[in-house]
Amino acid sequence: MIRRAERIGFLALPGLSFLAIIYALPLFMLLLKSFQIDGQFSILEYVTFFSDNYSMSVLWRTLRVAFLTTGLALLIAYPTAIIMARAKGIWLSVFLVAMVLPMSVGVIVKAFAWSILFRTRGVLNDTLMSLGLTEAPIRMLFTETALIIGAANVFLPFMVLPIYTVLRQMDSRLPEATVSLGATPVFRFMNVTLPLSLPGVVAGCAFTFSLAISMYVIPSLIVGERQQTLSMLTARSFLYLRNEALGATISSILLIIAISVVLGSSWLASRLGARQ
Amino acid sequence: MKDPETRDMGSNKYLDVTAVGKAFKGTPVMSDMDFRVGRGELVSLLGPSGCGKTTLLRIIAGLTAADTGEVMLDGRAITSVPPHRRNISVVFQSYALFPHLTVAENVAFGLRARGVNKAAHGPKVAEALALVRMSDFAERPVAALSGGQQQRVAVARALIVDPVLLLLDEPFSALDRKLRETMQVELKTLLRARNMTAIFVTHDQDEAMGVSDRIAVMSAGKIEQFASPSELYARPASAFVMDFVGLSTRLTGKVVETGAGRITVHTAHGSVTAPGDFAAGTKVTIGVRPELIRTEPGENTISVTLEDAMVLGSKTQLHGRAEDPNRLLCELPGMRSSLTPGETVNFGWSIADTLVYEAST
Repeated sequence: MIRRAERIGFLALPGLSFLAIIYALPLFMLLLKSFQIDGQFSILEYVTFFSDNYSMSVLWRTLRVAFLTTGLALLIAYPTAIIMARAKGIWLSVFLVAMVLPMSVGVIVKAFAWSILFRTRGVLNDTLMSLGLTEAPIRMLFTETALIIGAANVFLPFMVLPIYTVLRQMDSRLPEATVSLGATPVFRFMNVTLPLSLPGVVAGCAFTFSLAISMYVIPSLIVGERQQTLSMLTARSFLYLRNEALGATISSILLIIAISVVLGSSWLASRLGARQ
Repeated sequence: MKDPETRDMGSNKYLDVTAVGKAFKGTPVMSDMDFRVGRGELVSLLGPSGCGKTTLLRIIAGLTAADTGEVMLDGRAITSVPPHRRNISVVFQSYALFPHLTVAENVAFGLRARGVNKAAHGPKVAEALALVRMSDFAERPVAALSGGQQQRVAVARALIVDPVLLLLDEPFSALDRKLRETMQVELKTLLRARNMTAIFVTHDQDEAMGVSDRIAVMSAGKIEQFASPSELYARPASAFVMDFVGLSTRLTGKVVETGAGRITVHTAHGSVTAPGDFAAGTKVTIGVRPELIRTEPGENTISVTLEDAMVLGSKTQLHGRAEDPNRLLCELPGMRSSLTPGETVNFGWSIADTLVYEAST
């Protein structure tokens, strides 16, 4: 007889088969295509990609933007998650709604809203100039900085929620136990709160990085065609250049980066969680 | 070991809580609280949940700020000293061990937090773990420990920093009964040997009686009585203390006769004579400890129909038929299987053993 837990495992079948057919299979076919030229096995597309200066500059930009977006999101998200973990009742609801509600506003709407903020005679520049902090308007729209700020904004909930969840699960007596053992607030943070929140930080970074490295709409709207990212390059290969092999190659590189991030972070999270 | 009777009973005011008041969201939890503990004393705060015992403990620890009043420790005002500078260790009900650290790292935490030289950690941790008989578990993660072992680690972690005062919030409540009793004896011996001043918070009267030199029985933010376990049991200061500490036969009635330091009280189960001076007509509560009652006529005698006779091994408990709030209870030593429910017996006891309190309402 099959044990109960194993029988319950069948409930995962619809989800797993859905993912297998709609996600894994086409991606696998794409991966195969990237290693084929005229039906023959070849790594030529990869060699071409990695030896091309332009492709490499796009790769580096994509990685740099993803790293900086993740870093900025973490910087903003961590204190927010701490406050949320301590919040109660109505304030907790306010924070949760504030985190989830913006996700329902499309990225396109947000991107145009930012352009009002960032453009040459936009709200931000007008404010800076009227405060006398700058003489001439600063170019902000169509810059990498604007892209990172925008992306961090969109992905913030994916960073806040895992950290919040982990902090919330912490025994509420731990901070008090720490204090009664003579620890200063800084010592308490460095030796208790921070290490215990690391699994959440790792998960949040993995989410945000995966989303940031493959984002397409946000860079298209904020920086445009002039500064390409890997996703934009993929789209251009398929849609304009009609170069399926190049598109498949870039997609596969993105896929490999994303898979390494996911596997690496779950390995890190299980290591961090092993002693708890 | 010093005899509890000669132990300093708070006269030197090692811990001196004066006129402390605290309200949460406008609801007063305690007001004008005075509480004094002598050096080396083991004291319990005993009371039902919501009586303010945990609040008082937290105010002493500095984890909750008092609205009014002053806390002095060893002659120094600590009311405005932040908790991490008080050198008061707390053992929490959940033990609050650090899940990401090993047993040894948990125990060493206080040393690290105080910046004690790393070289001194090893021997101190070894000593603390030996004290609670956990030396073999030093490198284990704390999640792998049983409840009793976790409690030992929590105690070692609290004692390694040589605290000036040890506070324990319901430290035994997560343990099963047998283990609880073992741990109580173990901890008491340990604290005595180090002459540690400690305050236990508990709602379990057996625990309070077992571990403390003195017990402060609390109710609704006030200390009803602060006395040794034997004093508390033999001469409870109020009907609340009598009910909360130990069992008793309890009768309500009205004083019908008074004079010569004695009163006669009319109750639903007959007339009872008690020592005291209450005006005739006063409503009173009468109490007698069950082991002071015999099933034969005494100076006071009432006739009781047995509802149940519970043979508990070392004693037999007789429950008589009574209407609330009256309660008829007698404990006889040994096993008395001859007594059966439905039988009518006499409950007899002496006048001197009769407790009497003015009824609160």
